[in-house]
Amino acid sequence: MIDGYKRLMNLEEPLPSKKAKGFFTDTSLCIGCKACEVACKQWNQLPADGFAITGNSYDNTGHLGATTWRHVQFIEQAKANESRQEQRWLMMSDVCKHCANAACLEACPTGALVRTEFDTVYVQQDICNGCGFCVPACPFGVIDRVPKESTFEVGTAHKCTLCYDRLKDDMTPACAKSCPTASIQFGDVEELQHRARQRLGELKARGESTARLYGMPEGKEAVEVGPLHAFFLLLDKPQAYNLPEVPRLPRKTMAERYGWSAAVGIGFAMVAALVFRGGRR
Amino acid sequence: MKEANHPPPSQESPSPARGGGQCGGTGGGGYYDNPIVRRPVWTWEVPAYFWLGGMGAGAFVTASLAQTLGSADDRRTAADGFYLAAAAPVPCAPLLIGDLGRPARFHHMLRIFKPLSPMNLGAWTLTAFTPLAFARAASHAADTGLLHGPLRGLTRLLPRRLTELAGSLLGLTLAGYSGVLLGATNVPLWAKSKLLGGVFMASALSSGSAAVTLQAARRGSPEATLHRLATIESAASLGEMAVITGYLMQSGKAARPLTTGRFAAPFWLGAVGIGALLPLLLHRFATRHHGRTLRSLSTAAALCSMAGSLALRWSIFEAGKVSSEDQSASFELSKA
Repeated sequence: MIDGYKRLMNLEEPLPSKKAKGFFTDTSLCIGCKACEVACKQWNQLPADGFAITGNSYDNTGHLGATTWRHVQFIEQAKANESRQEQRWLMMSDVCKHCANAACLEACPTGALVRTEFDTVYVQQDICNGCGFCVPACPFGVIDRVPKESTFEVGTAHKCTLCYDRLKDDMTPACAKSCPTASIQFGDVEELQHRARQRLGELKARGESTARLYGMPEGKEAVEVGPLHAFFLLLDKPQAYNLPEVPRLPRKTMAERYGWSAAVGIGFAMVAALVFRGGRR
Repeated sequence: MKEANHPPPSQESPSPARGGGQCGGTGGGGYYDNPIVRRPVWTWEVPAYFWLGGMGAGAFVTASLAQTLGSADDRRTAADGFYLAAAAPVPCAPLLIGDLGRPARFHHMLRIFKPLSPMNLGAWTLTAFTPLAFARAASHAADTGLLHGPLRGLTRLLPRRLTELAGSLLGLTLAGYSGVLLGATNVPLWAKSKLLGGVFMASALSSGSAAVTLQAARRGSPEATLHRLATIESAASLGEMAVITGYLMQSGKAARPLTTGRFAAPFWLGAVGIGALLPLLLHRFATRHHGRTLRSLSTAAALCSMAGSLALRWSIFEAGKVSSEDQSASFELSKA
């Protein structure tokens, strides 16, 4: 009977796990060419987002979404105060962070969102029923639902798959493959973390004093969502790149929330019980 | 060595001209004024469901407590609440299914049991609560002679106390989980305070007990029973005001999309004024009256409380969408 239920509901046993894969995005090397955006769209057959002009530097992509899984930011820091000597132009290719403790995965009521054998977070398109709970759950605003009218897989949630299909064949994800400056590096997470620490040391030695890593196990951004399997080397504070200082994992406060809710319910039941009992005398 | 020219201290001292949003950004010093989190995709079906599900659950709990502890009059009167508890969840499933991106896959909600996800827990709770509410309503219908034939015999088999206890526990879960669900996101208005589950619980219980009062007033039940129901409903309204106060205080600036602007009127006037304050005053006033005046006042109070509950769910739900686009509130929520 259990087997029949599993078949009816498409329940499968997870595959044996392999080494964790991820991205190290070194923003100090990004030249803003958007090759990653294009390669991602092409490989994953994602539809175009239209021709809206945002007016925000060269960024006409806007933000990550259901059909945009890489987003290159253009942060223009013009000479605006006394302390700044020169302009600088920061570029960064944003992507799903594939968190160790993923808020979207925990929120998912259907089990459509799973952790793959590569320790990445993946939406099973045949399971997702488009409930939309993962959308506001993600602290980074990555995952989104395709509108009910679209040329793409309609009504379900989408985000970066870390090119799960390519990983299956030992290939590099499309964005990393296309990056001409090695700003996007793909590999085993452990190896990438080692490389990132080395790179940070190099930059610091060169006097790039504001450089930092975002998403490493020891960082405060990993306190709740855990180390990010797609992590970054930044040249300014995370806020400048729209990255939260401590991304929140909703699970951490859930017990307290249920507790307050239950307290109100029990309080009501006690008052009602007293009133009804009083009427009996 | 040109990087060495960058004066590092500037990045630690936030000034309005700093950060990526330097070129005209009005947000919280982030990347232009781009939001941090994605806007919730849910539509009106969700607050409508929260309202109906909460009210049905509140009515069931009130009616069950009356069965166990109340006088004969209370028991007879409050049992009508089981009808509402059975009727309210009926539109709930269609509402929830209609809001899905892929409605035909609604049953995927029940392919796993995952209480860690409030939405999965809620789907199971609604699935379990609805048949219990129906069964208990059917046995009440058999008592009052509305149900005949073999169905009537069937209702005799129902263990009433057990159904009431299980239904009440599920009902309380159904009443409260919706606020926890919204709280378990990264939308500042919903997530900053831990009390939203309590707010929705109080609103569900005040509107649910109001629904019982409404039926009691219309069916001409004894005045003593009506007074007791009014006392319970008022206690729930007082509790609701207390939790809302705590919720707003904890939320601080994150509550602005709710307390000011487009949703200020439905929230202050609808949810707080009509939903909690007015019923309190009307019930207070009604204690000095008898007969038709008492019934009219009780009816009015109950209707206000029920309508206010919808206003509360709707305004907090819609204001949450505005809040999700508030960059500085999101930064505030994620501060170390």
